[in-house]
Amino acid sequence: MDLAVYDLKLQKGRFIATIIGVGLLFTIVLAMNGLYRGNIHDGLAVIHATNPDLWVVERYRGGPFNEQSSMPEYYHYSLKAVPGVERASPYIIYTVERQIDNESRHFSIVGYDVIGGLGGPQKIYAGRGIQQAHYEMVAHAKLGVRLGDKVPLGLHTYKVVGLTKEAVDNNGDPVVYISLPDAQEILYQKDNEEVRAQRERLARTLQKSLSPVAAANLAEALAPDTHIINAILVRLKPGADRTAVANHIRRWLYFSVYTTQDEIQLMLKGKLSGMTKQLLLFRTLLMIISVVIIALVIYTFTMEKIRSIAVMKLIGAPNLVIVRLVLEQSLLLTLTAFLFALVSINLTYPYFPKTIVLVPEDEVFTFIVVLLGGLLASVLGLWQALKTEPAMALGGK
Amino acid sequence: MAVLKIEGLSKIFGSGRLEVRALQDISLSVEAGELVALMGPSGSGKTTLLLCVSLILEPTMGTIVFDNVPIYQNGWTGGVDIRRLRREKMGFIFQSHNLIPFLSARQNVLFPLDLVGVKGPEAQTRVTELLDSMEIAERADYLPALLSGGEQQRVAISRALANRPKLILADEPTASLDTERGKKVMGMLKKIAQENQTAVITVTHDARMVEGFDCIYHLKDGRMDYTH
Repeated sequence: MDLAVYDLKLQKGRFIATIIGVGLLFTIVLAMNGLYRGNIHDGLAVIHATNPDLWVVERYRGGPFNEQSSMPEYYHYSLKAVPGVERASPYIIYTVERQIDNESRHFSIVGYDVIGGLGGPQKIYAGRGIQQAHYEMVAHAKLGVRLGDKVPLGLHTYKVVGLTKEAVDNNGDPVVYISLPDAQEILYQKDNEEVRAQRERLARTLQKSLSPVAAANLAEALAPDTHIINAILVRLKPGADRTAVANHIRRWLYFSVYTTQDEIQLMLKGKLSGMTKQLLLFRTLLMIISVVIIALVIYTFTMEKIRSIAVMKLIGAPNLVIVRLVLEQSLLLTLTAFLFALVSINLTYPYFPKTIVLVPEDEVFTFIVVLLGGLLASVLGLWQALKTEPAMALGGK
Repeated sequence: MAVLKIEGLSKIFGSGRLEVRALQDISLSVEAGELVALMGPSGSGKTTLLLCVSLILEPTMGTIVFDNVPIYQNGWTGGVDIRRLRREKMGFIFQSHNLIPFLSARQNVLFPLDLVGVKGPEAQTRVTELLDSMEIAERADYLPALLSGGEQQRVAISRALANRPKLILADEPTASLDTERGKKVMGMLKKIAQENQTAVITVTHDARMVEGFDCIYHLKDGRMDYTH
């Protein structure tokens, strides 16, 4: 006789409400798991999507993602001459906020060598890659643009020629790919008044030691260099020794060199580590809270049946019957709530503002923890049930 | 043949100045089919005696022999599964019926049968038979909360009888019923004792309810005051 099911049938409404409550809590646990994974996924998405053999950045810098790195664009010619290097491409990435369709959008711009260079989008699911040197873009679908849309950025408008889903920046914001010169122009574009004022300031300083004409000419020549990049991406020749090439670049060209795996580790131990630890802590706390709540629910359910349990004991029910009653309710509650959570997170995760990455391992792990938690949670109820004196059924004690 | 034999039974709670002698030197014997009442004022030791007879409360000294098996001889004799003994050979009826609220009347009666492994059609036939005999069969599928006090008590009696016990222990079975219904319940217990040769021990404080009982034990301050 399945006492647990009969009891739950009588308390159907309360049981369903409890399942929804605990289920929503489990949904948050699963969402937190997904957010944890999503944080890592987003943080590494551009690195994975780019995946060159080597990342060359400013010396002693952990760039270009974990730390700022700046270097003149022409350095990539030096790299092309290194033995074992097949291709070396300049690369720039930065974050902007612009109005698109009258809505303020936060996104990252990647500028790369569109003519056979590295660093561009790998998987385009609609449209094509950039084929012109200027005014074309490939955007992540999250930006909310369609193929053929014209997006104003700086002085020009850029036509959306392709859509990708692979790369987001480490905030989870979409990445937009454009040509390197376009990206530099957008980044260093200044207001005309500001350019004039800057030149005048410089000329005034120079006029202290030069003639006005010479100072004006020199001021123009000393205008800030906009051919700055963040990194150079290197593709090695087949069979080239990656370590030897990296060491050569470090020793002779005074750059820092990282493999893609190094870049991933820099991010995991750097920029991503704080948030990852935070999410891990939240995840653990939520798990503990879930177990405590189930424990209290099961304890309450058990306490409400304490007289019935005393009667059962008095009429000779073995402890196994009592244990089964409490444990079965605990497991039914836990498993049904988990199932509810599993369905609800799988239905809702695309609508979360941050990237949620659901992986079966996390779901299985959470299921095992929840199952053990459910068993642990019933300990309190079981302890109360087993210590109930059958005498309670007699004499109204 | 005595189903239950108690000799020199005492129960002392606490020690020193806090010592309470709840039962002192109680002896009684109940035969199969015999109807016995335990009477006495509040605090006289009726419920303590019932707890000892139910094998829930360990006496301090004395002897309990149940169904010719010594259970207690100045200590539990060991080798006896007391809970099994209760579920196979004893039936209980309570003052407040104590039906399991989430089981229907039928399931409440089925429960002790399930505990001893009687299942399927055999169990169902037994339950129907019992509920029929208690004139409650038409309410078999109702939950206890939907039954009147009298109906609940009849279900409780059916449950106590389910495993054909040798001894039924009833704790004030009529206390929550009006006189007429109370007498009816007592009539049922008499019938059960006669027809099934089941010994019945009833704790009651209502003298009107014990008409026709075979033996009435009066307790006072934990001692057997008189017997008739």
